[in-house]
Amino acid sequence: MTSTLHRETVENRVFRASYLALLVFMLLPLFVVVVTSFSQAGRLAFPPESYSLVWYGEFFESTRWLRAFTNSIIIGVGTALLASFLGVTGAFGQELDTDDSLGAILQPLVLIPLLIPPVVLGITLLMYFSEVGLRGSYASIILAHTLWATPLVYFVMRSVFSRFDWQQLDAAHDLGAGPVRSFVHVVLPNVKHGILVGALLAFIISLQEFVMALFLSTPSTTTIPVLAWTQIRQALDPMVSVVSTFLILISIGAIVLAAIATNLEWLSKQLS
Amino acid sequence: MTTTNTHDPSSLDRIRDAVVGQSNSRRALLLMAPLIAFELLVFVIPFFILLRISVASGSADLPYEPGTWSLDAYSSVIENILSFDLFWSILVYSFVLGGAVTIVTVGIALFYAYAIWRSNGLVKSLLLFSVILPLLTTLVIRTYAFTPLLSPTGTVNDILLSLNLLSEPIQFVPGTVGAGIGQLYIVLPYAVLAIYSVMATIDWDIVEAARDLGASRPRSVVEVVVPQVMPGVIVATVISFAWSVGSYAAPGLLSDNYTFAIYIERLLLTDQRYPTAAAFSVIMLVLMLISTGALFAILNRFGGDFDLA
Repeated sequence: MTSTLHRETVENRVFRASYLALLVFMLLPLFVVVVTSFSQAGRLAFPPESYSLVWYGEFFESTRWLRAFTNSIIIGVGTALLASFLGVTGAFGQELDTDDSLGAILQPLVLIPLLIPPVVLGITLLMYFSEVGLRGSYASIILAHTLWATPLVYFVMRSVFSRFDWQQLDAAHDLGAGPVRSFVHVVLPNVKHGILVGALLAFIISLQEFVMALFLSTPSTTTIPVLAWTQIRQALDPMVSVVSTFLILISIGAIVLAAIATNLEWLSKQLS
Repeated sequence: MTTTNTHDPSSLDRIRDAVVGQSNSRRALLLMAPLIAFELLVFVIPFFILLRISVASGSADLPYEPGTWSLDAYSSVIENILSFDLFWSILVYSFVLGGAVTIVTVGIALFYAYAIWRSNGLVKSLLLFSVILPLLTTLVIRTYAFTPLLSPTGTVNDILLSLNLLSEPIQFVPGTVGAGIGQLYIVLPYAVLAIYSVMATIDWDIVEAARDLGASRPRSVVEVVVPQVMPGVIVATVISFAWSVGSYAAPGLLSDNYTFAIYIERLLLTDQRYPTAAAFSVIMLVLMLISTGALFAILNRFGGDFDLA
């Protein structure tokens, strides 16, 4: 009895120590990024020898970084809008569809781009966009990012729509509402938080994606991850850490926004 | 419209039924049309162009000679592979790195997902947060943070040296170990979430029952939990494998070796050899497809054999 008890406590300790070690492993790189952004020296070291806000000042004076920042936001918003439109209409259409033959093709078709190495997608799209004359435009990067963001929006929306009570839509039709009106008044209020979460996911994906952007961007459409990549390969200075800290903050902000949106939804349901 | 309706309700009903019945599938088609058009224009057609360029002949001053047909690119790549030359070593390196990262990732992900599943309250939130936060950070940054940690003058070596565990620093970065760790860090969150989402639906009582029947704790996990999360494990394996074989950022930043993704970029942007780059991509995609299919079949059988339900 005592030996089994002893074994259990040992097992417990090993178990806890292992997952705490993994927790440290998961958070350490991000911690390193945030801490080194406050370093004073020009060389990246962890932990830094002295701390200052020098590199934050540099960031706000650097037109290159601010430009890349604007580009990232433009491309992210574009991707979020396009991917949400495609994902929502596609998932909604598939839900309305009575026979599944088209959906059976659509679902794998939407999913496959996620499993193809981004470098292969990048060169494929680079060759394609050069042929059709889109090379170097914001649109080329937005389309590429949408290829990755759409599957996520699509699957989020499929699960949201699968929980929607479709009899409500039939009822709206029976009461004489047209397709657009019934969608706006009956379906939309029930799925809008799902759409918001999908759009935010798409935005975050676009904000971080860099391999496809690396191939498709030109100096005037460089996004933050691409500029970070080229900077890192030249010199390891803490500027990239500063930018990364901003990116982490924006992403956390987006998640908080999504959480608040879904929670407000929940709250309004409780109150009504 | 409404006035005619009130005059003849029975014909209205017929029309309405016909319109609703028919338009439902037509409307569905109309709604799916943008997505289908997008996938065709931005995914399917580009791939045909990639295939087309892979069978064009190279050119001295252009990336490729438009309008020509030639299998030179394929024959040169395949010949190179069969004579165990550069392409062969790149292929092997990509698959070995991808395979190793996949095995370690899925093992750790199973354990971590289990830890999240079994914990509660603040610890559970913290563990989940630690999985989601890296997902929100661009992989350039996730990878770059390992440089000050793993370089010969980095933090890990400093600690190991000061503890006298090492006599001289190990060069993790640049090197294959560093690239592997970086890639592991990139795919681990996805693998954990894929497995956890399935594990969260399991009834803990089944595991409890196995323990009451005398199974030790590790055994109850391996024989009861693992078979049930097999769908999640399959997704995690396929994702980790596909992304790690095609990895670009981690080996690019943390090692000096070529994976096929890095080499394709070189062929394309530095050497401007479009047909060769396209042919090598197609060959690698086919090999990845075959190996992923094989992995899928093996894991499916494994899951089936152990299925208790």
